[in-house]
Amino acid sequence: MNYPVWNLDIFGGGLLIALIAVFHVYIAHFAVGGGLFLVLTERKGYREDNPAIIEYVRRHAKFFLLVTMVAGSMTGVGIWFTIALLNPAATSVLIHNFVFGWAAEWVFFLLEIISLLIYAYTFDRLDRRTHLIMGWIYFGAAWMSLFIINGIIDFMLTPGRWIENHSFWSGFFNPTFWPALFFRTALALIFAGLFGLLTATRIKDTELRHHLVRYCALYLLIPFVLLLASTWWYKAALPPELRTMIFELMPEMKPFISGFIFISAILFLGGLLMAIRLPRRMSSTAAAVMVIIGLLYMGCFEFIREGGRRPYIIRNYMYSNSILKDDLQSVQKQGVLQTAKWTREKNVTRENRLDSGKELYNLLCLSCHSIGGPLNDIKSVTKNFTPWGLENMIGAIDRFHPYMPPFAGTRLEAKALAYYIAFGLNGRRDRTEPIALQPISEAKIPPFNPAADEYVLLSWVDMGMQAMTDASRSWMMLPPGANLHAQLIKRGELPEVVTENVRIEYTIDPAFADPAATIEFWDNASLLYGKKIQPNTGLSGNPLSGTMKVEATGFSADLLPVAPYPAGGGYMPYPEMTITAVNTAGKVLATTKTIIPTATEMGCSTCHGGLWRVDGRAGLSAATADNILALHDRLSGTDLRQQAEAGKPVLCQQCHADSRFDQPGNGKQLNMSASIHGFHANFLDPQGADACTACHPANTNGASRSFRGIHHTLELKCTHCHGSLADHAISLLRAEQEAGKERAAVLMEHLQPEMVADAADIKPRQPWINQPDCLNCHVDFQAPEDDITFNQWTVNEAALFRNRTDESGQLRCSACHNSTHALYPAVNPYGKDLDNQQPLQYQNTPYPIGSNMGCAVCHTVEMDEEMHHPNMLRRFRNQ
Amino acid sequence: MDPATLIPTPDQIPVGWGCFQILLTSTFYLHVLAMDTMLGTAIITFIHHFSSEGDSLPVTREISKKLPYIIALAVNLGIAPLLFAQVLYGHFLYVGSMLLGTFWLSIFLLLIIAYYSAYINAYRYKTMRAGRMITSGITMVSLLCIGFFLSNTMTLMLHPESWVRFFDHPDGFLLNFGDPTLIPRYLHFVTSAVAVGGLAIALFYTYKSSRGHKESSRWIQYGCNWFAGATFVNFAIGFWFLGSLPKGLIIPSTLIGGLFAFFLVLALITAVLAVIAAMRYRPLPAAGLTLATLLFMVLVREFLRASYLRPWFSPTELTVQSDWSPFILFLLFFAAGLVLVGWMLKTTYAAFDSKEVQS
Repeated sequence: MNYPVWNLDIFGGGLLIALIAVFHVYIAHFAVGGGLFLVLTERKGYREDNPAIIEYVRRHAKFFLLVTMVAGSMTGVGIWFTIALLNPAATSVLIHNFVFGWAAEWVFFLLEIISLLIYAYTFDRLDRRTHLIMGWIYFGAAWMSLFIINGIIDFMLTPGRWIENHSFWSGFFNPTFWPALFFRTALALIFAGLFGLLTATRIKDTELRHHLVRYCALYLLIPFVLLLASTWWYKAALPPELRTMIFELMPEMKPFISGFIFISAILFLGGLLMAIRLPRRMSSTAAAVMVIIGLLYMGCFEFIREGGRRPYIIRNYMYSNSILKDDLQSVQKQGVLQTAKWTREKNVTRENRLDSGKELYNLLCLSCHSIGGPLNDIKSVTKNFTPWGLENMIGAIDRFHPYMPPFAGTRLEAKALAYYIAFGLNGRRDRTEPIALQPISEAKIPPFNPAADEYVLLSWVDMGMQAMTDASRSWMMLPPGANLHAQLIKRGELPEVVTENVRIEYTIDPAFADPAATIEFWDNASLLYGKKIQPNTGLSGNPLSGTMKVEATGFSADLLPVAPYPAGGGYMPYPEMTITAVNTAGKVLATTKTIIPTATEMGCSTCHGGLWRVDGRAGLSAATADNILALHDRLSGTDLRQQAEAGKPVLCQQCHADSRFDQPGNGKQLNMSASIHGFHANFLDPQGADACTACHPANTNGASRSFRGIHHTLELKCTHCHGSLADHAISLLRAEQEAGKERAAVLMEHLQPEMVADAADIKPRQPWINQPDCLNCHVDFQAPEDDITFNQWTVNEAALFRNRTDESGQLRCSACHNSTHALYPAVNPYGKDLDNQQPLQYQNTPYPIGSNMGCAVCHTVEMDEEMHHPNMLRRFRNQ
Repeated sequence: MDPATLIPTPDQIPVGWGCFQILLTSTFYLHVLAMDTMLGTAIITFIHHFSSEGDSLPVTREISKKLPYIIALAVNLGIAPLLFAQVLYGHFLYVGSMLLGTFWLSIFLLLIIAYYSAYINAYRYKTMRAGRMITSGITMVSLLCIGFFLSNTMTLMLHPESWVRFFDHPDGFLLNFGDPTLIPRYLHFVTSAVAVGGLAIALFYTYKSSRGHKESSRWIQYGCNWFAGATFVNFAIGFWFLGSLPKGLIIPSTLIGGLFAFFLVLALITAVLAVIAAMRYRPLPAAGLTLATLLFMVLVREFLRASYLRPWFSPTELTVQSDWSPFILFLLFFAAGLVLVGWMLKTTYAAFDSKEVQS
């Protein structure tokens, strides 16, 4: 917030510091351990009275001087310069707090230079004792440099009590100071052995070479004991939350942790190998390779240490982007652009959103992310997001990525930043224009003669808005499966619901009769469900044309495998079903039509990459599905992607219970609804009803527009009945929490309810069972006084609108009102009266069956009794 | 845009600003001595390669052998003033360095190049012929570039009104050519380095003369001539530099302006006396007077910086959160370090001395 930001683009993301620092730290450790190596080896030469060893030490000292004093020292200066450019605010904190630590280190550096120059050039000038003393002075000064730098570096990782008292000593002797010091000392000794091997393997005299190579190998091997012990100590000294984050929550750390362990073994075995008598060329090549491996070893450790600090540059004090932890809330309130000194744009507008987004990127992201570079490339990590998706991710970036700092800006700034990255850098856009739909020709409504026809056939599906997932090669969450219902009413003075001596047949529109040709469900069904399912039949064995099952007051055919892809291509989420009542003699008693809403328009690609699978408007592409599994693996430690790639697609309900499909799950994970809503609410909640339509097929500009009933016409939103996404998610998660699922609390931690003051005020509920009820607003079937309901759930499954009957107990609510989200009069985007065919067939109006005192649909006499429900004998209110 | 809004908020300091100012000035003084010797001798060595006999002159060989050590010392002595400058002026310095970030970062690479080329020159001097000119040229050019980038940074940090250029050029390639003081300032430093380099040669051969070296007097004169000539030129450059300063920047009636003028006059006087001594081939008095001149010029530089920053900032505004114990510990380390350095140099000198006597 305080300093300008150097625009590094591809060199960002810590590449510069990684390149310079890893190299410098490697040489700097060698400079410490190598000092001890020199004096001990010189002493050995004197002890053994072996001038050849002394000559080796002299040569090695010259090599040591050239490597450490030039490349080592100058890259140390380079680190200083680099950190001051990349993070001047943090550099300033380190300088001002530890200025006398740095100054003392400078004194030791001066001692190092003078003592090493003297040591390297006075082998034959100083007496043995004095020469050794020079070497010891060098080693002492070098180790003291390590002592001081170690204190400052580990302060950044574990500042300890400094956070409270800002005392030099609290920061310096921080919780990991001592283990880190021992750890680094061990590393320094190992590296000295490595570099010793490099020069020893080049000795021409065979005996001397073997002798010194073995000596150097011991120098490499013995410190491993100290390294192992100090590694354990170092890890144990880390605060528990830091330990968890480094070793459990950061998948990015895994390669470096594994690398460190693997290279430890390689170096140890390499040391043992070098102890064997090898030919000169082979041993010198092996030594050179081991020196390079040593550099990788250092790199692994430094990446772990640096990575473990995230999202801070000084833990619990300053975030990686230089924002102080204590300032975060005020910055979030005022906005980054207003708070930062070095911004040209102070406010986000539609016109400047790319420029302001870039400024926000520089301030908030550039310290860790390059643009198109080899390290932490922002383009790569955000390639799956549209601006809208990324805006949501940014707003909650820290919730499931604990190594990311919380977003410090306003919502508008998140939008601008997301626009800059997703559109400006990656070229992705959100849909801004409504999708052009191709309306079908006017529905051919079956005839009905009120004067002569004896039967009224009503049919509906239990869900007016229904989605299926069509990436079954990868995973399956929602199989194709619509539940069709019908009731046959014999007209009369006292109409009766007929279920005997009659069969109800259903026939899908022929264009949709072969879904096996358009989706891969049947290719993968046996792998998903463990049973063979014939093509074009549903999970319960029902085909797309057949006879419905008789129930107490009607008929049903469940889990019909309807897919929204007509034979001629394209996407049409409202296939038509013709239903016919036939008596035992084969006479057709009545015929009607209903539509089977089935959408594949789930906006996963907004955040998960890929494109729509079909016609740029619907369907899950393989890339989208793959990314979903990859993220699940990353965040939950699963290997689902590997499983899917191995040919075994993933059934979500295998772990996540789902009562809708009678899937019990594994009993440990959250149920499907709680899990998926709970997770996504953390990102999408601020978007209001748009959060719902991001995934459900109800976007008013989308290809399905499945919310099309009277409530939609009256401009109600999803949130009027279901609450905000956070409200909705909390209600589901609370039930899971009560069931002892720990994950529920994690997902709820950041969710802020909208409809009630506190999450604890939300009544827990089970998905598909405890739902908002019509009568919450339509109290006693009257006109509603309020159009918002929340926290009042149906008590059980039988109480759901789709399962309930009228007061006579005979007629299903949906029979007259149609299914939820498509209540009569509905306006279907593919044909205005596509959903209203039955009311139009029987009463020539799109309103609920029997409305406007239209009892004559079934009753052959005038009715004055509200026998189905109160307040029904009146004109329809919303004509 | 008001430049004042761009100036970062400084951090707290652990002891009073005066302590840091003393440490900054004194360590910068030491750094300038080493740096001038390093750059000056590097330039003189390089120029030798253009003369018919210069390539084979003993002075060229001697400088080439010793240059790596001088570089090591100059770099080390540069760390401390850079540290203390960051403490007092970090919020200006960081911005200044970021404006030319790419060049600024190249400094350490140039240092490595200068250092290694100097080592190659030292180790392979006997075996190289044309290579000597190339390696010494690389050393000199690298060092000159470093100096130029440092001059840019140190002047850019003084001009918050020019910082807004960063918004249009945030890639770290900005230099301060718009500042008329940049070139004379840089040349003033470089010419001063040549003068000190010449003086260092004269002093080195004065020492060798005391050890019985026969041809020393030629090189003492040679060094003194370089010193006197370069200092003459530097008078002109210095006045050019002085004349290029913004009008009204130095107000002699103010304390800072008065001190600036006072030390500048003192520096002029000692510099003139040093030149006179050098022209008489008396390197020791010339060296003493040059040390005084450099000290006065370092002080003048500090007052000049204070004058530039006066509208924006004064170190007296820094908040102090007292924490004396690290300071005291540093002083103890510093004192012990000096004692140890003294002992090492004395012991080594004695050993060399006895070997020379024996031989």
